[in-house]
Amino acid sequence: MTPDNLPSAAPSIARLVQELNRLPGIGPKSAQRLAYHIIRLPAEEAYALAEAVTAVKRNTVLCGQCQNLAEATPCAICADQRRNRSIICVVEEPMDVLALERTRSFRGLYHVLHGVISPINGIGPDQLKLRELLSRLSVPEVTELVVATNPTLEGEATAMYIRRHLSRDDLRVTRLARGLPVGGSLEYTDETTLSRAFQGRQDL
Amino acid sequence: MAPPRTYRCEGLTLRKAAIGEADLVVTVFTAEQGKLRAVAKGARRSTSKLVGHLEPLTLTRLSMARGRELEIITQAQVVDSLPALKEDLPLMARGLYVAELLDGFGPEASPSPGLFRLAAAVLRALPGAADPETPLRYFEFHLLRLTGMLPELYQCVECGSEIAPGAHRFSVNLGGVLCPACSPAEALMRPLSLRAMKVLRLMHRGSLSETAALTLNPSLAAELKSILAPTVRYWLGKEIRSNSFLEQLQNERRPGTGAIRGQ
Ligand SMILES: [Zn+2]
Ligand SMILES: [Zn+2]
Repeated sequence: MTPDNLPSAAPSIARLVQELNRLPGIGPKSAQRLAYHIIRLPAEEAYALAEAVTAVKRNTVLCGQCQNLAEATPCAICADQRRNRSIICVVEEPMDVLALERTRSFRGLYHVLHGVISPINGIGPDQLKLRELLSRLSVPEVTELVVATNPTLEGEATAMYIRRHLSRDDLRVTRLARGLPVGGSLEYTDETTLSRAFQGRQDL
Repeated sequence: MAPPRTYRCEGLTLRKAAIGEADLVVTVFTAEQGKLRAVAKGARRSTSKLVGHLEPLTLTRLSMARGRELEIITQAQVVDSLPALKEDLPLMARGLYVAELLDGFGPEASPSPGLFRLAAAVLRALPGAADPETPLRYFEFHLLRLTGMLPELYQCVECGSEIAPGAHRFSVNLGGVLCPACSPAEALMRPLSLRAMKVLRLMHRGSLSETAALTLNPSLAAELKSILAPTVRYWLGKEIRSNSFLEQLQNERRPGTGAIRGQ
């Protein structure tokens, strides 16, 4: 069943279904279920949802430095003087910053690319925040770049692209270690991960 | 007899896309069934036993179960992750070009052992080729052949007369060479040098390893590309997106520095 063949649905319902259907991971059936859930909500809850959507669009900006989604520019992390300004960690998406912040093991600054190079999907370097990254890296104060793109084909392509375009020889470039996931098992690990985990072994 | 509910096959992964909470939809090209799309449940979790076995440009052995719309991948085991292809950005871009063409041309749900073998061989030949562009041309040529659009190299596509050495032209949309006497109005034509004609004929009759060992001067390599790439694009009916990334990589390093590894 698709939103198009719901002849009996009122136009405003059909429109809500259509909008929800555009969200990632939401198929026509889920969209319909969500729409009818929203219709049955108490009015104030439904308005609160609509208000939250409006507010997030109105109040969210891209930080002019790290390009992360924020309520102000520079964002809270970039504005925090206790953070180490000599090291920048580049990630694919804003959610990756949250994941790394939860570890509390990195005290430098971030840079969010908003995607990865994916030639087959028509996403090239120009569609990412790469130029902004390269210009931040030209400042001598920055001494290390941590490349934290995902260990996928596109993440590796993006890492290699960054490596090729660095103009400074004195910049240390590191990549997050790739190894066995906690809770994983050797038996099911692919050969690339396994050989990299072996190369990256540490003293016990 | 109904087809079995589960089966095994070897495939080349072309692309993957996220679906739902933690699932992947993987496009795979197989010898037995051509191109197919299959769901890998939970494969985006880092502890999934499928993770790592389904990255694009990987030759992988799959266990599949027939699903209602898409097949379901129950097991995956890397056969060859093509590491040399993935350690160099221009090589990887060429691998993705092959994947995109397979994705565009690959027949769905029909056995394509020749095309599968061709793609695997070309991907393996790329890192060691004298010029990594040449295996791409070989791939384009034989992709056309295997999908029923073999470029005609011996007879004029308009009048059928034998082509004599001399001034040739190649028509992208008529699928082959034209004699000097024929100039159909609808033909998209490109000049074709004798040397380029010879390389095309070698590609037709020779092996991939013979082709990959050729060292072509830049103008001949460019001529071959200007004939085969537009022919493929014409039959595909759309732009090949990974080609623009590859060309961007090739152009940005040329000025000044001269030859760069992997160009
Ligand atoms: Zn910031
Ligand atoms: Zn003729």
